[in-house]
Amino acid sequence: MAQLRQDYQQLVERGAVVIVVGPEDAQAFRRYWQAEGLPFIGLPDPGHTVLKRYGQEVNLFKLGRMPAQVIVDREGVARFAHYGHAMDDIPSNEELLSILDGLQGNA
Amino acid sequence: MSRIQLDQPAPDFALPDLNGQMVRLSDFRGRQHVILVFNRGFA
Repeated sequence: MAQLRQDYQQLVERGAVVIVVGPEDAQAFRRYWQAEGLPFIGLPDPGHTVLKRYGQEVNLFKLGRMPAQVIVDREGVARFAHYGHAMDDIPSNEELLSILDGLQGNA
Repeated sequence: MSRIQLDQPAPDFALPDLNGQMVRLSDFRGRQHVILVFNRGFA
């Protein structure tokens, strides 16, 4: 999230909104958002409904959830998905920005 | 666990955000692209 925030303005300029989904409850989200001053939409998912529907992987050996990023275009179609295999396996901001550049209406 | 299919409609969802305001993926249709970030945890 810290990485995404660095280029948040560029994401906004490309017509994107960022929604962060996590298993923590609303109170934990609020605390973290307040502490970090995050500009993203925070979506607590303690029931894991969205997390499961989107197939976020839980690595029992590494004791945690693997990061994942999905880009849904303006038409509601999934155009990009990255399912990380390690805690630090996340796409670069450049990759995300170039995908946004390639979406319809942004050319 | 099944992953989502690309170039297919993304599964819609509706959940309250951290302030209790309902957020639906379909709310953004026709308006904005959405980057969904599945978090590694805050700790």
